[in-house]
Amino acid sequence: MRVEFQDIHKDYGRVRANVGINLVLEPGRIYGLLGENGAGKSTLMRMLAGHTQPSRGRVLFNGKNAEGLNPSRALAMGVGMLYQDPMDFPALDVWENFRLGGTKRDKKRTLSRLQELGERFHFRLSPQEKVSELTVGERQQLELLRLLDLGVKVLILDEPTTGISVTQKEMLFTTMRQLARDKGRTIIFVSHKLTEVEELCQEVIVLRQGRLVAKLQSPFQSDELLKLMFGDEHGGTAECPERSQPGEGEFIQLEDVQLLGDKYILPDISLQIRPGEILGLAGLEGSGQELLLRGLAGLARAAKGRIIFDGEEFQGRPYLKFRQAGIHFLPAARLEHGLFPDLSLNEHFHLAFPPRNGGRDNLLPEEGIRKFSIQGQLTTSARALSGGNQQRLLLALIPAQTKLLLLEHPTRGLDHGAGQQVWNHLLGRCRQNTALLFSSADLDEIKAHSHRVLIFYNRQLVADLPNHAISVEEMGRLMAGQGRAV
Amino acid sequence: MSYAARFSLSLGRLAAAVFLSLVFTTLLLLVSGAPPLHTFAILFAGGIGSVAKLGQTIAVWIPLVLCSSALLLTFAPGLWNIGIEGQIILGAIFATGFLRPFPAGASPLVLAGALIAGMIGGAFWAYIAGVLRTWGRVHEIFGGLGLNFVALGLTLWLIFGPWRRPGVASMSGTEPLHPSLWLKGIKGFSLSPVSLVLALLAIFLVIYLLRSTRWGLSLKAVGQNPEAALLYGLKPNKRIVEAMALCGALAGLAGALQVVGVYHRLLPAISSNYGYTALLVTMLASFRPNLIPPICFFFAVLNVGSIQLPLQLKLDSSLSGVIQGVLVLSIFLVHGLEERWQLLRRQK
Repeated sequence: MRVEFQDIHKDYGRVRANVGINLVLEPGRIYGLLGENGAGKSTLMRMLAGHTQPSRGRVLFNGKNAEGLNPSRALAMGVGMLYQDPMDFPALDVWENFRLGGTKRDKKRTLSRLQELGERFHFRLSPQEKVSELTVGERQQLELLRLLDLGVKVLILDEPTTGISVTQKEMLFTTMRQLARDKGRTIIFVSHKLTEVEELCQEVIVLRQGRLVAKLQSPFQSDELLKLMFGDEHGGTAECPERSQPGEGEFIQLEDVQLLGDKYILPDISLQIRPGEILGLAGLEGSGQELLLRGLAGLARAAKGRIIFDGEEFQGRPYLKFRQAGIHFLPAARLEHGLFPDLSLNEHFHLAFPPRNGGRDNLLPEEGIRKFSIQGQLTTSARALSGGNQQRLLLALIPAQTKLLLLEHPTRGLDHGAGQQVWNHLLGRCRQNTALLFSSADLDEIKAHSHRVLIFYNRQLVADLPNHAISVEEMGRLMAGQGRAV
Repeated sequence: MSYAARFSLSLGRLAAAVFLSLVFTTLLLLVSGAPPLHTFAILFAGGIGSVAKLGQTIAVWIPLVLCSSALLLTFAPGLWNIGIEGQIILGAIFATGFLRPFPAGASPLVLAGALIAGMIGGAFWAYIAGVLRTWGRVHEIFGGLGLNFVALGLTLWLIFGPWRRPGVASMSGTEPLHPSLWLKGIKGFSLSPVSLVLALLAIFLVIYLLRSTRWGLSLKAVGQNPEAALLYGLKPNKRIVEAMALCGALAGLAGALQVVGVYHRLLPAISSNYGYTALLVTMLASFRPNLIPPICFFFAVLNVGSIQLPLQLKLDSSLSGVIQGVLVLSIFLVHGLEERWQLLRRQK
């Protein structure tokens, strides 16, 4: 289907999310949609999928005006969107979920249709399994099959490669190519990741500050794309501040620790960490890195082994003891797990820094807001902050005396500039001998910032290597269960 | 949004809800063949028509304010303390039990002791619901509801069993207290100044705790995001049990005051459903403390005024409950419509 955007404007109050976008998407092609956070990618795609209407301008499907689009009408006209977090029902069986919203069929026909589609794309999904037991990649495959069964002609994929394995990614890409070539479907691939866009897409559309800044044909120049995305001032490859050398001595030791999580057990972890040392944790989501971070924070129980901080044994102690010892954990979902949505900045500072011994030895709220350049006032609620400001608020709330920082995806969802600010601050802390463990889905981030890399596969720690001893490609292989084990 | 703006917004919503429920009640009255204006006139005259009636209304206002302000403490950490009804009853039972050894009367000090006993009783009952929630993973709505039935059963068992009146065990309750153990009213009223002062103290205490203490802020934080509260070291489970216990203590005080100040004995219906009514009040007030006293007053007027309905119009007195329920439904409807409207406006 041919999709045409004509002079699309979208305003959210004073924010101009899309400004005068003119764009034609032809059938049978794979488009990459690039842009940093807040560039207007999601807004544009949400309009196409009928979640919101343009303030001005029109969307045409095969030359016909699609007015008053809503999600179900968009789907009926053949626009399907694969969301970053799969929109499925974990409590249902695979086949039940597949049937939802689709053609009315009995169980037998549903099963055979599911099998037929699955075979065509070489997806191996067992129909009787519960959706909750699938990996993110498999849930994505299921959702994809469901959309194809509904006969979508335009397929939008929003950051589809986060959290899925390398093999699953390859399969997804093959499927995309097959769909575009053989079936004449229009595919829009929304992503941050340049390499993937370069690998998959025939054309790339770059948005910056709500405007369309370029539409380029393959092959692409990475430098040029970066410049288009971020403008000249960012330069794309700006240097990060120097890592300092870790201090002496092993102030954290894990001896044959077995950690108990809600869903799985992480066995036999032995690890030494020096003050000021930075460890990057690589692994597909759910491979064990989450549990190690929580175990070190005192949020997951150690069933066996010893956890030693500064010569003192901590296994079996409550979370508050870990916290008092100077261990600080920041979860990945900031607003969901780390902040209080309707409480003000001021209240956050008061909660994080209880007045002790009469005086407070920590940041005053005004100071914190200024020092971390949080765009908000004392009375602003956490909910009203942008992602970058929420992350800076969380950084501002870390006590000064923290000795071990545990971070889950410290820059997830942040744009280039905001991510760099986060790292500037973290590296500053490490220079003052705070040790840092962080997990990330972005292997370049791990390569750029860690002294050591820990790799998790299949709920086990499979490698513990100094940064210089491993390449990004090798990390990817180990994460997928291939290559050497150490 | 500024404090004043939010406050006037709450007031605006309240006004819209009052209007909506007025329309609905009028329709209802027309259908049942009663003259609406006359009915409303009787309702209000029955509640505030004379000084004596005003006194009765304030006597109802007192337990309502105590319970509604207590509920602010449990709503702050996001708890639905539906068990407040049982907490009132336990307060009444403990107060009665404390006074039973003194059939021939005692000093006012004993009376004060009875109030404290009532607070302990209510706190104890709420503590059970809190521990069930935090340790036993029983949702406080189910735990509270169960405990309400247990409390009611306990009252009935006491009234018909160990505490029955000599000779005649009946629904009319236990043997009346010795008059020296009654909380004396102002001359000619069933209204005690002590109760009034305690109710006012309670609401100021709750406002102070929630607005000016770190404990109150922690409660709100737990309500906003229990997981983050755990990470910040705010001990969410401990806060939940504390909020429950303090809420229960105030509810227990209300129950004890009903015994020593109003009925002078333990009755099967000692709580008069004030706990459930207080839940409605708190929701209608959108959990804003300063709206609690006026709404409680309005509800008290309806409660007292509705007694006149069967006498003068042969209408059932449950009309006051209907109006109260419709009011709460209306405020939720106003909230819902507002959100819908904002969504539509954003999409335009």
